Parts: sequence; C-alpha cells; structure tokens
Amino acid sequence: MPENEQIKRLLSLIALNDDQGAYKELFMLLHPRLKQFAYSILKSNEEAEEIVSDVFVKIWEKRTQFSHIESPRLYFYTITKNLSLTRITKLKRQVNIAPEDWLVQLDSIYFDPEQLIITEEILRQIRQAVNDLPPRCRLIFKLIKDDGLKYKEVAELLHLSIKTVEAQMAIALRRIGKCMQLDIRRSHQVENQKKS
Amino acid sequence: MSQEKFWILFSKKLAGEAGAEELNELEALILQHPEWQYAIQNIEELWKNHPHTDSIHAEDAYLLHLHRMEDLNIPFGQFPTLSIETKRPVRKMKWYWAAAILLLVAGSWWGIRKMTASKTEAPIARAVNEITTRPGSKSKVELPDGTMVWLNAGSKLTYDKNYGLELREVTLTGEGYFDVVKNKNKPFIIHTSSINIKVLGTVFNVKAYPQDKHTETSLIRGSIEVTIKNRPNDKIILSPSEKLVVENDEIIEKDKQAAHHEGAAQPTDLSALVSVNKLKYISADSVVAETAWINNRLIFRDEAFSDLALRMERWYDVQMEIGDPALQNKRVTGIFRERPLNRRWKP
Repeated sequence: MPENEQIKRLLSLIALNDDQGAYKELFMLLHPRLKQFAYSILKSNEEAEEIVSDVFVKIWEKRTQFSHIESPRLYFYTITKNLSLTRITKLKRQVNIAPEDWLVQLDSIYFDPEQLIITEEILRQIRQAVNDLPPRCRLIFKLIKDDGLKYKEVAELLHLSIKTVEAQMAIALRRIGKCMQLDIRRSHQVENQKKS
Repeated sequence: MSQEKFWILFSKKLAGEAGAEELNELEALILQHPEWQYAIQNIEELWKNHPHTDSIHAEDAYLLHLHRMEDLNIPFGQFPTLSIETKRPVRKMKWYWAAAILLLVAGSWWGIRKMTASKTEAPIARAVNEITTRPGSKSKVELPDGTMVWLNAGSKLTYDKNYGLELREVTLTGEGYFDVVKNKNKPFIIHTSSINIKVLGTVFNVKAYPQDKHTETSLIRGSIEVTIKNRPNDKIILSPSEKLVVENDEIIEKDKQAAHHEGAAQPTDLSALVSVNKLKYISADSVVAETAWINNRLIFRDEAFSDLALRMERWYDVQMEIGDPALQNKRVTGIFRERPLNRRWKP
C-alpha cells in the first residue's frame, strides 16, 4: 500500500519535527479527494472546504498521536465522513443521510486518444453508464478507482462487508463493459448492412 | 456463471486485490472468451486514467486553511510569522539607504553585464573561462548552450573550451543555482571538491563552499545523479524536492585514511557520509529556502548561529566575530531581504 506508506512517512515527519513542509505536502496530497468526498455528502463547495480544513486542524493538533494507526488514509476518510455528517445534521436538521443520497462525481472517465481505441460515442455511453450506476455502487467505484482505496478500507468506511464491495465493483465494471460489447455488435451490423 | 465470476475477478485485478490463484483463474476465463478482449483492454486503459487534479486550487485551499488556523488561534510553529526583519525598526530606515541599495544593485549589474559582455565578444577562444563573484555580490551567467547559472557570493565557476563538444562540464566552488538546457546527448556535469553531479536537463541548487561542513545539492525539478569523489560506484539519484547533504569533513578524512592504507578496501557505510532530506518549503508562498538567495532573500531555519554568521559574511562581505561562545550553537530562524547591514549588527 504505497500511498499509506507515504502518508505515514509525512505524518512521522510532522510528529517528530513539526515539519511544515511535510504538512503542506500531506495537504496537497489529500485535499482534492477529501474535499470531493465531503462534497458528495454536503453538496456545497464552501462547506466541503471547511470540513477538509477541520480535518487538517485535527491532524496538526493531534500530530503526535498518529504513529500507530495502520491505515491513516482510512482514518482521514472516516473523520471527513463523520464531520460532514455532523455538519449536515446541524445545517439541515436532517438525520441520517445514507450513502444512497450522496452525490458522487467521477471525473476520470475521459478520452485519451493515445491509449483508448474507442470512439467518442462509446465514451459517452460509458459516462452515461457510470452516471446511471446506483449511487452506492458509484461511490464504491469512485473510492476504489479514483481515490485508490482498498476494498477493506471502503468496507470499513461505509460499514459494508468486503463481499458487498466486490459485488458492487463487478456490477460497475460489467455495465461499463456492456457499452463496448454492444458497440461491437452494432458496428458489425452496420458493416453487414453495407455488404448486403 | 463464468460471466459473474469474470467481473468479480477482473475488478479485483484492476484494484490490485486479486491473489495469484485468482489471477490464474481470470487468465483461464479470458482464454475461453477472446471476444471479451476489446472491452478488457479498454477498461484497463480507462482504469489508469486519474482524475485531473488542480494543484493551484489545492495551493489556494492551503493558504485559506493556514489563515483559518490563525483565526482559530492554533499555534503553527514560529515560522514564517517570526522573522528578525519584522522586529527591526524598518520604518526608520533612512531613504538614502534605499538609494544606496539601488545604486549598489544597479552598479553591480552593470558591472557584471559589462564583464560578461566583454567576455563573449572576445574573439580568442580562451582555454578556460572563469566567472567569479566576490563576497557580497552575486552574478547571473549564460553558458554557451543557453544554460543559466546564478552564482552566489564568493563563488567560482569554470569551464573550458571543450564545453558542449561532447560533454558540458563545469567546476564549481561556492554556490550556484542551475537551470540546465535539456540535451540528452550531452550530459551536463558539475565537479565540486567532494561530489560530481550529472544531469540531462533540470533545475537545481548546489552549495559547495570549501569552508562549509557540508556540500548540499537541492533538486527543484527533473532528476540528477550524484557521485561522491573517490566512491564512483555509489550513485545517488535525487528526485524533485529532495536535498542531498554530503559531509565534507568525513570525505577529507576518508581520503587521508585511504592514503595511509594505500587504497585498501574501505567498506564504509555510505549513509554515514550522506543524507537525503526534503527541501524546506516556506509555507506562506511555497518558496524553497535553499534557493531563496536568487531572489535576494536569505532564509534560514533552525540553523546554528555560527553557520548563519558564515553565510552573512559571504552575503554582506563582512567579518563577524562571535564574542560569546554560547551564542555559537544557538539555533536561529528568520528571513533577510537584501539590504546593507544595520549598524547594530556591526561589532
């Protein structure tokens, strides 16, 4: 788990030397993803920004206590989740907003002509397929693909079993895969029509 | 169903969760279904795409975060808020000091321009080109291939007429900030008294004053390869934002020992001689302390006063005597912008 190792290294620099360079590096490393994660719950940029800032306030204040955490990454996602849920309860007096109601954005479904041998049309279909995924499935897919979390970490974060995470990932990929198989069939049909 | 199993295994493979047995099983399934190949390949490529992250946005967010910490009265170390500069009565500085600095800076620039200009105009190819800076002055040089070098006070850079024919070789004493033009076929090599640095095209800072205890190499971007004199087999590759510190005393001592033992094998631990550290970023504006001097700033953080005194001697071309020996090892932190020494600093 190289990223967790990197986070641990930075945390120990921060704990031992009050290393502000390492603190900033950690911030730059985690900010984009933690903010997106907070945003998915709060649906507000400013609120999400403040939550991440709060998380980093905690990281600084409790810097000497992180040395024995096995997965600091999971720990920070968990604090982000908890702070966000507390915040939304206060703001909207909503109790218990379930992961089904989280707004998850995936921005890694894009076209790189050097690598992908698919058309814009297939890519559009893939995007659509990802958008049409059930919210919890999309959240799991995003956390694993974009944020690089492990199955075990996602399971703990969302209070699910690892088997559920496995199944949700399979559903997400199968739906994406379908876009491409369908297209192959369709292009064959087009060719056949031309021939006849 | 093999389909269901396939998607479970395939997603585990992508996420790096599959064990050896599962990978074998997946391999076997794929062999039975060549028609899946197209989708598999594309999904694998799509998986590699990372979300576009906006580092400028994160930088802004970090600044806001620091302000918020301040508002919340959370102590965040002494730096960068405490600097000696803010404690000095800056407003009382007489206008003629400012004028004097301007004259000084303009004068030295003009002098350097004239110096370098006359050098390039000279038609005779001199065997050795030498650029030196006196204590208290700095200089910026453009080498024949367009590589830029900023020379700090009290430094010397030499290169001979073969520069750029096969290699781009220079020798440095003192401190230089290098912005090397990329050329894969002609490596750029810097020789100092204790290390050699080989680069292809990159930006970095080298501090190799003979009087200093260490030789420091700070990499800003790109990558460089450092070899230590007398240990040509030990190569150290630096990554961006890393600083290599080599103990000069150790090396000199090793030399002496080696001379005694007539080159007998010395299995000394490399880690005793060198260390790789992270660069010191200054939180407020992400300036790197190691290279602040090219912007006329002297930044020191948690350094021994005796080391600072040495740097100030070069920087201002003055002699500093530390009367109280207890002061020698006192740790200091602060920023100076370039300006003449205040009277109180003089003995």
